[in-house]
Amino acid sequence: MSNPKEREILEGIAAGDTLVIKAFYKKNYNYIRGYILQNSGDEEDAEDVFQDALIVMYQKLRSDTLDINVSIRTYFYAICKNIWRSRLRKKRKLIFDNELIEVDEQLEASIIEDIEKKEREHLYRKYFLRLSDACKEVLSLVFAGNTMKEIARITGYAEGYARKKKFECKKSLLDKIEKDPIYQELKIISEKES
Amino acid sequence: MERTQELFEKIEGYLAQTLSEEEVLAFEKEIAENFELKREVEKQRELHQVLSDRDTLDFKEKLQKISAEVKKEQSKSNTYFLYWKIAASIIIILGVGTLLWNNLNKTDSFSDLYASYYTPYPAEDITRGDTANEWDDIVKNYSKGNYDKVISELTKTTSFTTLEQFGLYLGNSYLNTGKEREALLQFETISNESRYHEAANWYRALTHLKLGEIKKSSEILKEIINYNGIYKEKAMQLIQELKE
Repeated sequence: MSNPKEREILEGIAAGDTLVIKAFYKKNYNYIRGYILQNSGDEEDAEDVFQDALIVMYQKLRSDTLDINVSIRTYFYAICKNIWRSRLRKKRKLIFDNELIEVDEQLEASIIEDIEKKEREHLYRKYFLRLSDACKEVLSLVFAGNTMKEIARITGYAEGYARKKKFECKKSLLDKIEKDPIYQELKIISEKES
Repeated sequence: MERTQELFEKIEGYLAQTLSEEEVLAFEKEIAENFELKREVEKQRELHQVLSDRDTLDFKEKLQKISAEVKKEQSKSNTYFLYWKIAASIIIILGVGTLLWNNLNKTDSFSDLYASYYTPYPAEDITRGDTANEWDDIVKNYSKGNYDKVISELTKTTSFTTLEQFGLYLGNSYLNTGKEREALLQFETISNESRYHEAANWYRALTHLKLGEIKKSSEILKEIINYNGIYKEKAMQLIQELKE
């Protein structure tokens, strides 16, 4: 990646630079949205795919495993299309679009592997962020490794109530994730494997 | 598997390695025997692992905010665009309206002009000795302004066309009964060599004027001026007024 402008975009994404990300969003979202709407998706699918593809790129940048020799746009579109293809397959829909994958096979293979691995992760994050603020707070503290005593102190809840709250929030999160059709499909696949 | 607070706390303790050695052994035995429990433990392990990556979670949250902002901006610009479209439509409507208004006014002024220049082509006396009676009736009707009758008589038979002045009568009759196009056709049938040609041209020019076809009218008027005949004077006046 020798192009300084492209490098700037990648660095911006890695650093979570709002301006860079927003510019990237504006420049590329409509294309992906159009693509997904044309291929049996809806507005929410488009948004999810676009964001999850950015997350794949973000994580690869952070772990310094992003190795691209095409333009960011080509790479990013390939991720988006692969994510959508994978989800469509899980939704058991046929694709009649031959243009679905248009990047070279080597790149594609490595991306697909990442995508399949991350499908469940996207769901966890998606539904976690939809929880109430109170739930998000308690669970964030739990996931950060705090003890219940610490959590009670930080939130001001009684420890017993904090425990109950934690349970309820986590249960509701898991229930919601499991209701997602993509998760259902993932479950079937992993059952077959095990 | 029913999800209870007790079960969750056991799983969390196991994952956080805060259970006693005994408890761990007992729980692992339970897991080995219960596939559903095993799955639940794996699920929670993964949940903890994914959601403890605060950076990615923050990144996702940021993306959601940015997405909402971009959507808002786009719908805003769409709204602006809509306003522009409405404004443009109003301007177009006003424009077309003004144009129509001007045109109508112009047409009005053209028909005024037409009215001030038009007089029916005068009926000539028929040369006696021809098949006079029939002609007489037509000429009489024409002079009296019974144009419908003139039209019906003259279109009954083609024999009248041998007398070219009847072509002018017919054309004028059409012109006075709102049939300008028929009038034009009639005037155009009068040949260049005819002594009625100049008169026919004059009425053609007036017919075009009545129709608001100023360019055509002007061209014919110029032809009349060049011809330098009895209609030259009128033609020059009219063309002058048209220029104004």
